[in-house]
Amino acid sequence: MKRFLLYAVLVIGAFVSVFPYLLVVLTAFKDRAQLHTTAPWLPGDPMTTANLEKLLGGDFPTFILNTLLMTLALTAGQLVFTTFAAYAFARLRFRGREVLFWLFVATMMVPVAVTVIPLFLIMRQLDLINTWGGLLVPYILGTPYGIFLMRQFFRGLPAGLEEAARIDGAGPLTILLRVLLPLCKPALGTLAIITVISSWNSFMWPLIITSGDETKVITVALAALKVGIGVDYTAIMSGGLIALVPMVVIFIFFQRYIVRSVVLTGLK
Amino acid sequence: MTADARPLSAATGHRRRGKARRRWHSLHPYVFVAPSLFGVFAFLLLPVLIVFGLSLFDWELLSDPVFVGLDNYVAMAADGTVWSSLGVTVLYVLLCIPLQTVLALALAMLVNQKLRGIKFFRALFVIPWIATPMVLGLVWSWIFDPRDGAINRFLEVFGVTGPAWLSETSLALPAVALVSVWQNTGYNMLFFLAGLQGIPQELHDASSVDGATPRQRFFRVTLPLLNPTMFFVMVTNMIGAFQAFDTIYSMTAGGPSESTTVFNYKIFHTAFREFDFGYAATLSILLFLIILLVTMAQIRFFSKRTTYDLS
Repeated sequence: MKRFLLYAVLVIGAFVSVFPYLLVVLTAFKDRAQLHTTAPWLPGDPMTTANLEKLLGGDFPTFILNTLLMTLALTAGQLVFTTFAAYAFARLRFRGREVLFWLFVATMMVPVAVTVIPLFLIMRQLDLINTWGGLLVPYILGTPYGIFLMRQFFRGLPAGLEEAARIDGAGPLTILLRVLLPLCKPALGTLAIITVISSWNSFMWPLIITSGDETKVITVALAALKVGIGVDYTAIMSGGLIALVPMVVIFIFFQRYIVRSVVLTGLK
Repeated sequence: MTADARPLSAATGHRRRGKARRRWHSLHPYVFVAPSLFGVFAFLLLPVLIVFGLSLFDWELLSDPVFVGLDNYVAMAADGTVWSSLGVTVLYVLLCIPLQTVLALALAMLVNQKLRGIKFFRALFVIPWIATPMVLGLVWSWIFDPRDGAINRFLEVFGVTGPAWLSETSLALPAVALVSVWQNTGYNMLFFLAGLQGIPQELHDASSVDGATPRQRFFRVTLPLLNPTMFFVMVTNMIGAFQAFDTIYSMTAGGPSESTTVFNYKIFHTAFREFDFGYAATLSILLFLIILLVTMAQIRFFSKRTTYDLS
């Protein structure tokens, strides 16, 4: 009986978690009339791909490509620069190390709202508004969060790995790239997944810094669909489907990396 | 002499290379941190400095900035919309945080049991977290749609006419907060689950032997031992909730009649819709201070309570 109750609660929780996703799929394949004639939780009769075709026949493929490029660039930058900095903070001795590291940690507390206004003005000064440079530059050098996460991992690696390699005549770069990095695959995977998700989902900065179509990303394009009276939810949900599906796929294949982010940032 | 020249030059060459290597050896940590350090200085610390400077100016972007001293601060103190927006923000935080923390802990205890298929359920509970918040706002706008939305159509089955959720000043904010709860509960659950699994079984056994009821065990053993996890979840979630933006932008755009204009949205609007950059900078400093104070209060609160070293 107790077991039955537990499963009942689990099933309800699972339904609540998945229902909005389900609704996106169902609505994306309806036409506008069916929004009213069929219940939201039932599929359209007949289902139509007209919304998706219309979306993909227009500018939307460009926005998808832009989002993809932005995500790849930010993730690559994060992985490279964060690895070097985190390695130095975790395993190298140099003057000012502790001060600099705590400076990084302190900057994690600065709200995005505080930085976006001056960042916008800096980008305006540099003539980078509405360009790829403006979109990417502030965030491509990695984040304090990433450095924190990778440092935790580097510190957990056994001591003396570098010493053995150094005796064999390896320089600092060789030690990092050949000796330590192969051991970091799980942490790098976690950092990559977290960065992919946050970049793909980012909205405020792209909204502020881009206005033309050349650098527009999916989130900004979708925001523009919900203006005025008579919002067309079939079109919006088609776009939402395109935005959400890659994240769901990544989640299905890489969820253990997400779970590991909890263990890495958590508390030990 | 000539016979000596070659070994000599080879020796200096070696020495020079040795010097370069030594220099590289002492400098390479700085080279490794340099790009990230530049990023932090140029895109985090410099902006903070700029924001303080900017708050002393009246600047509407197209005209030249005019130095106004503390006028923006004086105006902020007298600005009723600032205080009502702060009220909305605090209410939003209070609607989100307790619910998404308690629910997360309850879920964690639920999925910490040995049941068939429990890993599958754990994964499903986390899936809201990966959704694009901006898109999520659109999806929930559709769910809350007064005429054809899932909630009101469901109520209709029972003959109940649902309200226009996002158009009523008393309902819009709870509706928006609910989306945050939906998105964050599962991810928070993961933290509590990790915390629960770090508690040795012997402690539970010992307290049962001592005759503790399940209720006592939860409040006297489990909860105190989860203190560090609770601290982490509370601090990170609060910082996030005070900066809510994406879902509010896409669900209500701050309306109806500013009932969902949380502070971050107000800052955005002041800067990028009204182009009042000096004033927006002043508002963002206030938000910064509030987040700092709330975080420090939490640090004090949690450090006063005993933490236990389980290692």
